[in-house]
Amino acid sequence: MSKSSPRRFAGRSTGTVTVIEAKVHRSSARNAKMAFILTAVIVGLLSAVVAASYWHPIVSLVVGALIGVPTGAAVWLLVRVWPVIRLLWWWSLETTLAVLLLTAWVQLANHTPTLVTLLVVALVVGVPAAIRPVRRQVKAWTWCLIVRHRLRVCFAQFIIANQSGSLPLILWAKPTPVGERVWVYLRPGLSAKDLEGRLDKIAVTCHASTVLIERASENNAAYLRFDIKRREVLTAHVGSPLVDVIDPSAPVSASPLTVPTALDLPDVDAPTIRIPAQGKPATKQPAASTANGSKPAASSASPEADDVSDWI
Amino acid sequence: MTTTIPTTADAVPVGPGLSMFDPIFIGIDEFGQPVYLDVIYRNLLTAGEPGGGKSGLINNICGHAALCDNTRLVLFDAKLVELGPWRDLADAFIGPDIDQGIDVLRRLLVVATNRYAWLLANRRRKLADGDGMSVIVTIIDELAMFSTVLGTKQQQEEFSTLLRGLVSLGRACGMPVVAATQRPSWDIIPASLRDLFGYRAAFRCTSLNSSNIILGQGWAEQGYTASDISPTNQGAAYLLAEGGVPRRIKAAYLTDTDIYNIADYAAWTRRPTSSTGTPAVNPTEWEMAA
Ligand SMILES: Nc1ncnc2c1ncn2[C@@H]1O[C@H](COP(=O)(O)OP(=O)(O)OP(=O)(O)O)[C@@H](O)[C@H]1O
Ligand SMILES: [Mg+2]
Repeated sequence: MSKSSPRRFAGRSTGTVTVIEAKVHRSSARNAKMAFILTAVIVGLLSAVVAASYWHPIVSLVVGALIGVPTGAAVWLLVRVWPVIRLLWWWSLETTLAVLLLTAWVQLANHTPTLVTLLVVALVVGVPAAIRPVRRQVKAWTWCLIVRHRLRVCFAQFIIANQSGSLPLILWAKPTPVGERVWVYLRPGLSAKDLEGRLDKIAVTCHASTVLIERASENNAAYLRFDIKRREVLTAHVGSPLVDVIDPSAPVSASPLTVPTALDLPDVDAPTIRIPAQGKPATKQPAASTANGSKPAASSASPEADDVSDWI
Repeated sequence: MTTTIPTTADAVPVGPGLSMFDPIFIGIDEFGQPVYLDVIYRNLLTAGEPGGGKSGLINNICGHAALCDNTRLVLFDAKLVELGPWRDLADAFIGPDIDQGIDVLRRLLVVATNRYAWLLANRRRKLADGDGMSVIVTIIDELAMFSTVLGTKQQQEEFSTLLRGLVSLGRACGMPVVAATQRPSWDIIPASLRDLFGYRAAFRCTSLNSSNIILGQGWAEQGYTASDISPTNQGAAYLLAEGGVPRRIKAAYLTDTDIYNIADYAAWTRRPTSSTGTPAVNPTEWEMAA
């Protein structure tokens, strides 16, 4: 409450984007009130109905009110502190990791002599840092953590979805050879098309080179996959598996070619610019006869025609 | 990424006993996974700026087809050198000669119509692996040479029309077409022909617009544009195939030595089987299938 009123005031006086903020807060307050009333009435009535089978109706109404009002108050509180809970949830993984690390450190420091402590720390930090695949894995997963927060920043800062300001659910993330892949569940007010126009901004926010989005589900348009690219793997040279199955010592089989002698401009007279003359006689004849010992396709077409007429 | 290559070697059933009905390995995607294409039931159009790696990709398919059982090659290459290594294996190798090209396309169309008559007689709509009929792969490098440079205007138009017929008919009767061109704009390939190619590979382009012409309208706006491929990264492309979304791939590359080794080996393994087998086996197998 204390936060929303000055904001609303500021929004009104400057007429900037904060108007949206004020709206969001107001609707949060209103939501809380509505939640309180609805919960209180429904829970109160239900408990009154149940209580009526044991006691006098008036007593049961009082009992209903006694149960309904505190329940409503609890729901009101939950809705009011929801933004804080959301924030805590957002940082829960990081908080847990930090707590675990700190606990481990404190336990270690308390139970072992300093030298051993330092040795253990040096091992725990040094070994992953020295072994490349491990280091790469740690780095990749750290980026996954970071990128989820960066995506949330995108949604909160420049992709305002709807009036109540609900953000898309950013689900899990996993490393890929080029960067990260994040699954996102959109809330009402956004679509994949809206996001397509802002891919460059999202890439900037995620400190990436490019971002692509793709539907993650055929049946649900809200379920998207973000491919965040920060590395290029396609510069590698790719060999073909065909090379491994052949025998390179196979005898050379090349039909003789007649190589033209006019290989420089002065050798070619002005009117004789017939390119086809060079390639045709040399290549066609052998191709037809020695190809793979088979006859050219014209003669292979005729038995087919015969066969077909046999069957019709 | 070199680590992924050996695994793909086990995964692909390559060998002289290969079939065109097997998926063809053409490279890796950006996650290092092997990429396969079923060229048999889809036509492939590759396009992109000169030196992008189109002929590299086409040679992969050509190499696979050359090692395949019961497969015929029809090669069009006005540049002679790109598909020239396979000329002895091919049933027809057409250099810079549009008359010859038109003749071969006419023959191919006759074969296609006959095959459909055969399929009809056998109460089928599509050729399958067990039919024993040969697969005729038509590969065209530098399509623009035939459709805009060589011959007269009339011949060029006839070539385009015949090719269009082959592309639209060939799919279900085992006669796929693979074509490469630098820019598939309307003056080189009519849109009506371009849209018949089910698979598209866009190598580096200079503009968003060129990329859109290859992949289809609207992809550049969604972030899939071949103009963001680095000019030094030859062989990288956007491939529009299964899945409906362009994928970034890196085409496998065969060096000149590899190509000639494969061609020699294919010629070596093909010679005995086809001289004794092919003419006799085909009709009997048809009878069995029928
Ligand atoms: N997959 C690849 N990996 C590595 N290098 C490649 C790859 N593909 C092509 N290159 C390099 O790029 C060069 C040009 O490739 P290629 O001849 O296939 O281009 P192109 O697109 O056919 O050009 P053009 O339009 O002039 O025919 C090759 O000589 C090779 O050095
Ligand atoms: Mg080329």
